[in-house]
Amino acid sequence: MSAVIETSGLGKRYRRQWALADCTLSIPAGHIVGLVGPNGAGKTTLLNLAVGLLAPDAGTIEVLGGVPAAGRALLSRIGFLAQDSPAYAGLSVADHLKLGAHLNTGWDMGLARRRVEGLDLDLGQKAGTLSGGQRAQLALTLAIAKRPELLILDEPVASLDPLARREFLQDLMEAAAEQELSVVLSSHLIADLERVCDYLIVLVGSRVRLAGPVDELLATHHLLSGPRRDPATLPDGLEVISASHTDVQTTLLVRTSGPVMDPAWTVSQVGLEDLALAYMSQASGRRRRDNNNHHHLEVQK
Amino acid sequence: MIWLTWRQFRAQAINAAAALAAFAILLAATGPHLASLYATSKITGCHGFACQSAANTFFGQLAGLDTVVYLLGIGLILAAPAIMGIFWGAPLIARELEARTFNLAWTQGVTRTQWLAVKLALTGLAAMAVTEALSLIYAWWANPIGKAVGLGSTSAPALFSQGQFSSVFFASHGITPLGYAAFAFALGTALGVLTRRALPAMAITLAIFAAAQLAMPLWVRPHLVPSSHTTASIYAADQVYGSLTADVVPGHPDAWILSSRALNAAGRPVTAIPAACVSPTIPGRKGGTSAITPAQCMQSRGYHEAISYLPTSRYWPLQWIETGIFLALALALAWFSFWRLGRRRA
Repeated sequence: MSAVIETSGLGKRYRRQWALADCTLSIPAGHIVGLVGPNGAGKTTLLNLAVGLLAPDAGTIEVLGGVPAAGRALLSRIGFLAQDSPAYAGLSVADHLKLGAHLNTGWDMGLARRRVEGLDLDLGQKAGTLSGGQRAQLALTLAIAKRPELLILDEPVASLDPLARREFLQDLMEAAAEQELSVVLSSHLIADLERVCDYLIVLVGSRVRLAGPVDELLATHHLLSGPRRDPATLPDGLEVISASHTDVQTTLLVRTSGPVMDPAWTVSQVGLEDLALAYMSQASGRRRRDNNNHHHLEVQK
Repeated sequence: MIWLTWRQFRAQAINAAAALAAFAILLAATGPHLASLYATSKITGCHGFACQSAANTFFGQLAGLDTVVYLLGIGLILAAPAIMGIFWGAPLIARELEARTFNLAWTQGVTRTQWLAVKLALTGLAAMAVTEALSLIYAWWANPIGKAVGLGSTSAPALFSQGQFSSVFFASHGITPLGYAAFAFALGTALGVLTRRALPAMAITLAIFAAAQLAMPLWVRPHLVPSSHTTASIYAADQVYGSLTADVVPGHPDAWILSSRALNAAGRPVTAIPAACVSPTIPGRKGGTSAITPAQCMQSRGYHEAISYLPTSRYWPLQWIETGIFLALALALAWFSFWRLGRRRA
C-alpha cells in the first residue's frame, strides 16, 4: 500500500529551537496511527506540517502524494481536527455544516446531518455554547463529512471527560471503518490510543523514537525478568530499551527479532502502554540519568 | 467562501446599513427644508451684491439643527473609514488567529490565498461603499450651503465658511472617501495579521489612520499637483488689511492659497508693515489729511503679494491623485497581509 504521509529529514524550528528534527517516516495507508509523546514533543508540529498549516524548515513532507495545502484538490482529501477543536463561536451548528458544504467539493450533507442528529446536537445552537465534547464532535463531523481519504486529529480527546472520550473514539472508529479512512491521531495519553490504533509512532524531544505496526512492535519487544545482572552481559541481537533493578532482580525491556533463549530470564509480553513509556523514558533518561524506574515516568508535565 | 465571509460579516453589515439608513433619514427629513430655504432666498439668478445679501438671508434662516447636521455629516464621513478599519479590518484576521478558527478555515477545501482574497475583497468593498454612500447623500444635502458659501456671504457662520479645498471638505467629498476607507480597512487588516491580536491592532489602526488624516492636508496634499503662481496687489489680495498675507486670489475666488508673501517694490520680501504705512494718511482734497488703510498705503508704494495657489480646475486632478495614493497604500497593505499569512504559520 502507498504511504499517506512520507517525510524525509523533516524539521521545523521556532526561532532557534527545533520543535521537530530529522523526522523520517513513511506511514502506510489503511491504518489507524497513534502518535504519542509527552507534551512539547513535536506532535502538533508534525501534524500541522502534514496539513500545511506549517511549512517545514528542513527536509520534505508529502501527504497523499502531494505537498500539503498546495491546492484545493489536496485540501479536500484531508480532514483535520485541530487541537481544542476550534469552531466559530457565533455560528450555529447548522452554519458550520453549511460552511463545510460551501468550502468543500466532496461534502456529504446527508452524512453530516445524520451524524449531528445521532449526536443529539441542536442545529440552531451556537457553537460557542456547546460543551467541549459536543464541539469536538461537531469538529469531527466537519472533518469526516468532507469525505477525506486521510483524517488527521490533533489531541482530539484531550479536553473530554472519560465517558465522552470513549464515545468519541468509538464513533471515530466506526466512521473510519465505514469510509475506509486512514487516520492519524495524537495524544499524550497512550491509554487513549491503545484501544484504537494499529500503528504507533512515539515522538519524544522533537524526534521519532519508534514507529511501526502495533502487532509487529509487540512481537519484537519482550519484558525479561531475572536475577540481578548487568545488561551489558546480554548476548548480541538484544537491544535494551529500558532496565530497572532491585537488589536482587533485574527487569529489562528488550527489542529482538528472534526468541529469547536464555533460561535465566522469565520472558513475558509487554503492553503497548509500557512499550511506549519505555521509549519515552529512554529518551528522557538521557537527560535524567538517575531515573531508572520506568514505572514512575512522568508522562504528563 | 463568499457564503462564509458573508455569514461572518452579516451582523456588522446590518449594523452599518442601519446606521447609513438612519443618517439618510435624517438628511431626507432636513434636506427639503434646506433646499426650499435656498430656493426662496433669491440666490438663484442673482447678480453682484444682491447675491451676497441673498446668501446672508439664507444663512440667517438656517436652523440650529441644520448646523448640527452639517457638522455631524462631515464628522461621520471623516470618522467612517477609521470605524471600518477598527471594527471591520483589525478583527478580520486577528479574531481568527485569536480564536484559532484559522485551523478550521485553512484546512477546508479552499487555499489560504482564496480565503484571504474573498474576505479582503468583500469586506473592503463594503467599507468603501458605505463611506462613499455617506459622502454622496451628504453632498446632496449640503449642496445649498456649499453654493451659498461660494457667493462669499459675510454672515455665514465660521463653521460653514469652507471652500472645497478646505481640509475637512476635501477629505469628505468627491472620491477621496473611497481612498480613505480602503486604506483604513487594509491598514486594520494588516495590523491584525501582524499583531495577531484584535485589540492592539484596533488601537494602532486608530493612531496611524488619525496621523495619516492629519498629515495628508498638512504636508502632502499641497504638493500633489503643480501649483500656480501669481502676483497681485496688496489691496486686492489682502482682505484683512495689513496682515501681509493673501486671503484671496484675484480672479480665482475659490482657489486654495498654498503660500503668499508680501514683496516691496524692489521685489524683496517684507515681514512687517513699513513704518510709513502704520497709520498712513494722504493729503486731503480740501487741505489737511485723510486716513487710508495700510494696504492702500503699501499699494501706492508698489508693494504686492506673491501667491502660489491651486485654482479650482485642479480640484478633480487632486481628488484622483489623493484617492490613488490611498488606494495604492491599501493594495500594498493587502499584499503585506497575503505575504505574511502565506509565509508563516499563524
